[in-house]
Amino acid sequence: MSSLEKDPPVVKGISRRAVLKGALGLGVLTSTGGLAMNLATPESARAAVRQLPKKWDETIDVVIVGSGFAGLAAAAEAAGQGAKVVILEKMPTYGGNSIINGGAWNSWDDKYHLRQKLNLGDDSWELFKQDTLKGGDFYNYPELVEVMVKNAPEATNWLMDEGVKVRDTLPRMGGHSAYRTFMAVEGVGRGITEHMKKVAEKRGAKTRLGTQVSWIWRKDAESPVLGVEVTKDRKKSNIRIKRALILASGGFSKDVKMRMTFNPTLVAAYNCTNQPGATGEMIRYAQAIGAEAIQLAFIQLYPCAEPETGMLDTPAVYPYTGTGYGLIYVNKTGKRFVSELERRDVVSNAQIKSGSKPTYSIFSEEIIQKLAVPKAEIERGIAKGRIWKTDTIGELAGKLGIPADALQETISKHNKFIADGKDPEFNKPVTKSMLPIVNGPFYAIAQWPAIHHTMGGLRINTSAQVIDIWGNPIPRFYAAGEVCGGVQGSNRLGANATTDCVVFGRIAGTNAGKEKPVA
Amino acid sequence: MKKIVLMIVLGTFFGLAYLLALSITLDAAQPAKSRPATATKQSCLTCHPDFAPVLPKGHPAAVGKHIVACTTCHKPDTSGKTAPNAYSARLHQAHEGKTDCALCHTWEPRKSFGLVGQKFSWGKPSKEEMELLKKLLGSWATSTYMDAGHGKKNVTCMGCHGKALPTEGDSVENDHCLACHAPLDKLQAKTAPKDFPDRNPHKSHLGDIACTVCHKGHAESKVYCLQCHPNFKMKIK
Repeated sequence: MSSLEKDPPVVKGISRRAVLKGALGLGVLTSTGGLAMNLATPESARAAVRQLPKKWDETIDVVIVGSGFAGLAAAAEAAGQGAKVVILEKMPTYGGNSIINGGAWNSWDDKYHLRQKLNLGDDSWELFKQDTLKGGDFYNYPELVEVMVKNAPEATNWLMDEGVKVRDTLPRMGGHSAYRTFMAVEGVGRGITEHMKKVAEKRGAKTRLGTQVSWIWRKDAESPVLGVEVTKDRKKSNIRIKRALILASGGFSKDVKMRMTFNPTLVAAYNCTNQPGATGEMIRYAQAIGAEAIQLAFIQLYPCAEPETGMLDTPAVYPYTGTGYGLIYVNKTGKRFVSELERRDVVSNAQIKSGSKPTYSIFSEEIIQKLAVPKAEIERGIAKGRIWKTDTIGELAGKLGIPADALQETISKHNKFIADGKDPEFNKPVTKSMLPIVNGPFYAIAQWPAIHHTMGGLRINTSAQVIDIWGNPIPRFYAAGEVCGGVQGSNRLGANATTDCVVFGRIAGTNAGKEKPVA
Repeated sequence: MKKIVLMIVLGTFFGLAYLLALSITLDAAQPAKSRPATATKQSCLTCHPDFAPVLPKGHPAAVGKHIVACTTCHKPDTSGKTAPNAYSARLHQAHEGKTDCALCHTWEPRKSFGLVGQKFSWGKPSKEEMELLKKLLGSWATSTYMDAGHGKKNVTCMGCHGKALPTEGDSVENDHCLACHAPLDKLQAKTAPKDFPDRNPHKSHLGDIACTVCHKGHAESKVYCLQCHPNFKMKIK
């Protein structure tokens, strides 16, 4: 490999077509020496023959692409192994979707045993695993799910040790059969990312903003990842990687073309909760050097985004976290249309079929108190017109423009379901933690599905190594978080992404940091 | 990267000539006093037979034909300090686009860039980089962007970029901005919306971000918030 740093011989007389054929056949490339592996489709502009860099502009132990939960966790652990770590972030600000997410993650236990303290029943890693598999229609790779759930308490403790503070609540959300969602006090992902960033930086990791990876260098199907080409301010340079490359670059919800490639129904008219950088090109670059990408058609809608813009703002979290405490969804006619504890895909589809946009979450003061939401946060939502608050159900119906008697009847019926412990209408698993909506003030929030998460992505193993199309790990190549597929199956349960990112980010970072440096 | 400033500062007298800078004559590189008194083609005297009308009130008489007339007192600023520099700013504003840079500046591509009669160098701009520097100096002098706003307040390249000539892709660190626009909490108070105090672009949920995410020196500034919050009524004044 060191010879690559000199001046690799260029083989003349090989046509582009021949090289492409050779690339697919894997035979020719090794003999050409200076050419980079490139499986990009022949029609693509990127399919041009690529010459490995004649010289590298710099050398870094561990390069991490993306600065969200997974990238920061990986950076902290890799730097903890003593590696020189650089995070490359293409956006001008750090944090990706993580910094704007709901600030929630799942775990079946933690060092303070919050669930037990709040008297919210039992949970176990087996139950968490079963829920995740069931929620993903068993498309999940069970061994990956097992890694996520078994490591969730340790990841939770780590976050807490590094300074993340949680609310005194533990919601139960759609698809989960236990109360297991931890919420950062800030009510937003920044309450988590800031602490992760601090620990990563304390250990020496550096972040470069506005720096986009524009190619991954690999020589052939046997070779490790050698480095990356980066583009900053239209200037390209090449980084040689001494230990490993970690992709933590997120999904592709924001890329209409890419999401429609895998699910043509997800047209541009759909709103999207994601930050603008969630465009998935790293998956393509990884594929071009032989990485397997799986289950890319599984793309999730968040059922309760802000109807006009698709934003997952702070009030858009309550409709999802409130369900375990008795919050209900109604349509324009004042009727329920789905079990509120259903999975995201089921709730989203039920809304779209409910007859009119938007639908509403209805809840009471007692329910919002269960979520330990600061009063000021609610007041802000009311001031912005995102949350309606009234003293009576009738007034609330008036504000929403839905028939008051129908809404009252729906609420009364649901109150009875809670008292009876069963929901014959939509078969919601009613629990003792659910509260009837009886005492005011009463609240409503408008909601509508928006494209939210891409479950598919790069195939990894339990060590977070990226697997190639022949089933073998690509040396010195790791991935974690939404850029990967197989952890969440066909449908991700709420707050499982953060757990996934933190657990696999830490594994990727630890293993990358332990790689023996290239001579 | 931060060398633009120097160019401006040092160039106080000569700097204006960027646009036409390619022909440095030998005598331009000589101290003014050694030149023959009749040389007028390449000297300040071509346009300013008397400096008095262009000098501030009360300014002592300036003597000489070249930038040395100024640099005798106005020592070139190589400190990288973020502060207005009226001397450099006014010289560049008055001459930008009209005068050959080489009247005041010395430049050897990829080797040095300095001032006639001075030994130091503010950087090693290549031909391409010099073209870019000229273009951006023009923007600084006449554009509708933030650079020109700073120019009007006598903030030169160096005021934002530090003590060396900037190279392509250079950015400006927050501490340079805050040298004049501090303290941050005052800035935040100024932009806190009365109706929704949490929609404050200077105190957002993204935490500490670079000023340059929204405020562009040589291009149109853009409110980054609007990418995700298209309904916010925000604009950069």
